[in-house]
Amino acid sequence: MKRTILALLAAIAAASAPVVAGEAWAQGKYVHANNSGYDNLDPHAIFDVGRAASRINFYDGLYRWVDNPPKMIPWLAESHTASADGKTWTFKLRKGVKFHDGSEFTADDVIYSIERMLAMKKGAASLFLPIIAPGSTKAPDKYTVVFTLKEPSAIFLATVPEILVVNSKLVKKNEKDGDWGQAWLARNVASSGSYKLKRYDPAIGFVGERFKEHFAGWGPKAFDEIEFRTVLETNTRVQGMIKGDFQGTDGYLPYDQILRLKEAKNVQILEAESMRVFYFSMHNGRSLMNDVHFRKALAYAFDYDGFIKDILKGAVARNPSPNPNNLWGAPKDLKGFTYDLEKAKAELAQVKEPLRPITIGTLAGFSETEQAAALLQNGAKKIGIEIKIESAPWPVVQSRMQDRDKNYDMVPLWKSTYYVDPNNWVGELYGSRYIGTRNSSYTKDAELDKWIDEALATNDQEKRRVLYEKAATKVAEQAMGIFVYNTKWYGPYAANIGGIRFSPIGSGQDMRWAYYK
Amino acid sequence: MRRLEMILSRLVWFVPTMAGLVIIVFLISNVIPTDPVRVLLGENATAPQIEAMRIKLGYDQPVWVQLARHFRDIVSGNLGISIYSQRPISEDLISRLPATLELTLAAITLSVALGIPLGVISALKRNSLLDHILRVISVSGLAIAAFWLALLLQFFFAMKLGVAPLNSRIDGFGPTPVTGFMIIDSLLDWDMESLHSALSHIALPALTLALPAAATIVRFTRAGVLDVINSNHVLYQRAMGLPPGLIVWKYVLRNALISTVTQIGLIFGVLVTNAVIVETVFDWPGMGTFAVQSILQSDHKAIIGFTIWIGALIVIVNLLVDITHSFIDPRGTR
Repeated sequence: MKRTILALLAAIAAASAPVVAGEAWAQGKYVHANNSGYDNLDPHAIFDVGRAASRINFYDGLYRWVDNPPKMIPWLAESHTASADGKTWTFKLRKGVKFHDGSEFTADDVIYSIERMLAMKKGAASLFLPIIAPGSTKAPDKYTVVFTLKEPSAIFLATVPEILVVNSKLVKKNEKDGDWGQAWLARNVASSGSYKLKRYDPAIGFVGERFKEHFAGWGPKAFDEIEFRTVLETNTRVQGMIKGDFQGTDGYLPYDQILRLKEAKNVQILEAESMRVFYFSMHNGRSLMNDVHFRKALAYAFDYDGFIKDILKGAVARNPSPNPNNLWGAPKDLKGFTYDLEKAKAELAQVKEPLRPITIGTLAGFSETEQAAALLQNGAKKIGIEIKIESAPWPVVQSRMQDRDKNYDMVPLWKSTYYVDPNNWVGELYGSRYIGTRNSSYTKDAELDKWIDEALATNDQEKRRVLYEKAATKVAEQAMGIFVYNTKWYGPYAANIGGIRFSPIGSGQDMRWAYYK
Repeated sequence: MRRLEMILSRLVWFVPTMAGLVIIVFLISNVIPTDPVRVLLGENATAPQIEAMRIKLGYDQPVWVQLARHFRDIVSGNLGISIYSQRPISEDLISRLPATLELTLAAITLSVALGIPLGVISALKRNSLLDHILRVISVSGLAIAAFWLALLLQFFFAMKLGVAPLNSRIDGFGPTPVTGFMIIDSLLDWDMESLHSALSHIALPALTLALPAAATIVRFTRAGVLDVINSNHVLYQRAMGLPPGLIVWKYVLRNALISTVTQIGLIFGVLVTNAVIVETVFDWPGMGTFAVQSILQSDHKAIIGFTIWIGALIVIVNLLVDITHSFIDPRGTR
């Protein structure tokens, strides 16, 4: 007893000794501070950017996005072919791929994974629900998978990397009451991915251990372990980077924090133009907002240069259309709107309906949205348009945006990359087929729909490029939204880290390529 | 006997108190303009999917039916599924409770250890320079916002001096959870490295919570000691020639602490509330960060679950305070 007390006292005394920053990290371990929680590890239940790391590092898809501009490389599949009508897609799978438990990956696992996604209707399922019927995916042999789509879909291939493959035998063993193993897979990993789950606590994050037998092999200095922790407070993430507790954090920090990190010697900031367009979503289906002259008046009343150069210190690139500048399908010669109150007044003079106050919903905690709204409010006031700003958390804003009647008149926000195709931007935001889901502008324009539908139905890349350019130009010129900038990604990493391969999908959190220099 | 009656009566009141809390929180959460079904299914869900899920989860029913169902679920221990984590809320709360309790208990211990001696010293040296300094410090302690103090302590002790960790509960994930209390689990594992890590990690968040609480305790202890020190029984003890230290620390303090103990019960509620902010700043994986995440995600059921748990915790702590009170001052229970 006495010895126990003495040992306890000794331990408490030792606890008061100074702590050396970073001493806890073993060689070859990477620690990342993430701005949202890893509450669920099920790759078919989550699809948000904030929780991308668990999907990318634990799971493999048939293809994989890498680099910037993003390119799709064969991953669990070696090749694919598409039928002339664009409805039948055949994938030849890689042989000899092992899951973490040593069992072999086969076509059955791909079929189980897509059926599971369609049944759960969560996460990335919405990309496939309209085009793949349950039970329609077949495996002619152990290493071939055939997807037969309900209708031709040119974006199908771009979304294939989102079909993350689970170890079907293992998941089936852990199914409970027909839940497709959801309860089990929320806390466990069943995959062939780059890292095996070593430790997981929903309140803290996860630790992944390198899966040495991964089919893609490894570089000589790859991390042995990766740890992704939830650190909600921006200041704590930034200070942790400076102190050396973390070796990486999210690449979309407020720019003043990036400047702080740039001053730290042990931190490097990797820069890349991303594909994340900041724009004002406009409710085109509501009175006054459906008047092109009124929308143009608002578009001329926003001080683009003031916002980009003064508020954001030039940290982003002007992007005048819904499609990111650095993606095919972005109109090359489009000038876009400029801040011009005279033109704004001229447009407003052509509005026949009586004016009413306009409501902008901003995202609480995302100061840029509030700053942009305030700037527009200021410009609009000068031409006689009253704007009210309401701030709310993203889920509240999102809920309202999906309801035609409750939606705000305008919402400043970002459109991120879920798959690399212009349809992710101009198609989903302005195609009437997406009204009620991703089209919260409630635009219903026959010409736009025709172009977007045609682009979805053909695999002719050149034809698609022309169609998306025309669609993006029309949307921008008719001010169906106010398009401001394309985000630059500023990835903060420890100075001694190399090999980061940033891709707009995954935001530089695909850790299999990275290493200590 | 009267003590038992008091405990029983408190327990009887526990039920309507919690029922009232549930009704208020449920109604407030229904006023928030978020559609939980849309949030659950995400931005890509179609209208038929949303409607099907709305019916499945009972959100198509009138509010009073939903409330009745909610009561039924709570009684059966089911707080529902979190929209964000998609796991049972009770499971999330149970896993996070030890972290919050460990932090809160550390803060209470620290605030009592600081507050009572300083309160006594302040009373004994009343109107001296020391008393004035302590008064200024205690008033400042009450006025300082928890998040600001947290950032200040982080900046000074973690960043400038480098003597404390910046965030989290322990290096890595800590010892194998048995009780969920890192300090106890480290001892059970006899893992001195983890114990060192746990103690050093808890220092700053506990101090952030403890300083304002200690300020309250200083003020109440001072007032209590001043009240008792001039009483006849103290005069008698002095006349009997008892050593001043014995008089103060044994006889005066016991009587002076009656109101302080009540305050400690109330402080517990304040600490749990402040823990929401302090846990977020220090990345402490407790119920506070769970609450913040739930609020940011408009996870109604999780917010209600958190509020019910915290409400129950505060009611239980107040009951314990009443029981302790009855031992320190048994007059009302004889």
